[in-house]
Amino acid sequence: MSYEEDNNSHWERLRKGDKPALFALYNSTYSHLLRFGLKICGNDELVKDCITQLFLQLWSKHRQLPPVTNVPAYLFTSLKRQLLDQLAYQSKIHAAIHRDTDKDPGVELSYEEIIIQVQHDEEMKRRLQQALKTLTPRQIELVQLKFFEGLTYEQIAAQTSQTVKTAYNTIYDAIKALRKMLK
Amino acid sequence: MNFQEYEVIDFACDESFQRYCLEADDRDLHFWENWLTQHPEKRLTVQEAREIVMILSAKQGNRLEQLKHLEDGIARYDLLQEALEEEQPPVVLRRRHIWKYAAIATGVLLLAGSSFLFFRHTPAPAEKHQLVTAGQDPRKTLVLPDGSSVILRQHSSLQLAPGFNKDNRNLTLTGEAFFDVTQNAQHPFMVHTAALDIKVLGTVFNVSAYTNSRETETALFKGKIEVTLPGQPQQKIILQPNQKLVTHAATPFAIAPLDADPVSHKAREIAWVRNRLEIENEPLEVIAGKLEQWYGIRVVFADETVKHYRYSGTFESETIIKALDALQLSYPFSFKMEQGEIIISK
Repeated sequence: MSYEEDNNSHWERLRKGDKPALFALYNSTYSHLLRFGLKICGNDELVKDCITQLFLQLWSKHRQLPPVTNVPAYLFTSLKRQLLDQLAYQSKIHAAIHRDTDKDPGVELSYEEIIIQVQHDEEMKRRLQQALKTLTPRQIELVQLKFFEGLTYEQIAAQTSQTVKTAYNTIYDAIKALRKMLK
Repeated sequence: MNFQEYEVIDFACDESFQRYCLEADDRDLHFWENWLTQHPEKRLTVQEAREIVMILSAKQGNRLEQLKHLEDGIARYDLLQEALEEEQPPVVLRRRHIWKYAAIATGVLLLAGSSFLFFRHTPAPAEKHQLVTAGQDPRKTLVLPDGSSVILRQHSSLQLAPGFNKDNRNLTLTGEAFFDVTQNAQHPFMVHTAALDIKVLGTVFNVSAYTNSRETETALFKGKIEVTLPGQPQQKIILQPNQKLVTHAATPFAIAPLDADPVSHKAREIAWVRNRLEIENEPLEVIAGKLEQWYGIRVVFADETVKHYRYSGTFESETIIKALDALQLSYPFSFKMEQGEIIISK
């Protein structure tokens, strides 16, 4: 079965109250939801909490769930609503503490912004920012595809029209440079 | 493949290793966990590689830990459903319940630590310093020349009279202090404050006598104390254990029982001695006063209605910001810090 068919079958079973189907759906969509959420807000803990909350809600109202043709799209939309709700709720606190750093959640965050924002340590944020400046745009693009989007070297090579070897070497050099800066 | 020759960057670039870090695939997870137990010498190298993967993936992963949370949540939900049983349609879980947990984790977690911090600090040589001030320290513990111990609260000070422990045991308190007084029949222990005088015969008590507050509170835990008000030396007010005397500039004095916490059974009057701030269904206006005392910062209101919002909670107060954050979560208001003041508004 394809990824899509899998998810549709999980969904139908979930609607009938099948608990293992809920967990199967969770496992198969977790990383996609996480990446999607991180682009809305660079707070991995908040995103993870919202994903858990989303699935709890799916379970608690599984009897009322509609039939859905595109399951991931349905989940993305629900997660986004959940996240924006939480962000709006928190915005009062944020406005008081760091009023200037708040970004409009409608704007998608860049990869660099996301990996810096999820770090809590100020020193680490600073060093990471410095380190990223030493990389070429090409290196950053490939590192993002590899580590953030989770593509394989073959997929990256195909997408960026180069050999697997070159893709690997580009990423290897990028990490070597980053490591030196982060030490 | 010979992973033993791998260095940090080799691991970080390895696709199976990446899937292991992100918990994306159970086979990789199993393989690497197993491999690591067989090659403990590579632990540090692997650790560093793992950190790199986590940074670059923006801390994705954690799937298994999160799955555990979901399973727990669903188990709790199912239990609740069972309990509600016949009570028909499924209840929609309250959103924000995770935030409640967050609040508990940040501000609160309190039930621990019932032992007081009596001798945590090295006793100050009180003989040499006749005036002792707590300054910015939240609490300062001292042992007086007669063996009595005192915990002095932040911004409070204690002035020993000349000849303390030789001719007398008189001292003057400004602010708030917790006393554990040794017995000495020859020299009664006398505490003078702006509002009243306390005569002690071996006992444990707390006095709150801030000069900027119109109220002075004396709470007795053990033993017996005798209080006299200025200008009425013949009227002696005797306090029994677990009673407190509240005097106010504008109203007659009152004796009231101590405010015992229903959970810990500890008197609320000395919550400050233990490292935390306790609030029990109090209006924000009163809480603000406590925060002022606790943190030594002025708190003002820009809005009248907010003053009457009521809150409960106990804080292991690290910063006033955190305490206010936690309060905001249960019923929202805004606050900002400006020129050394905290301004609370709607």
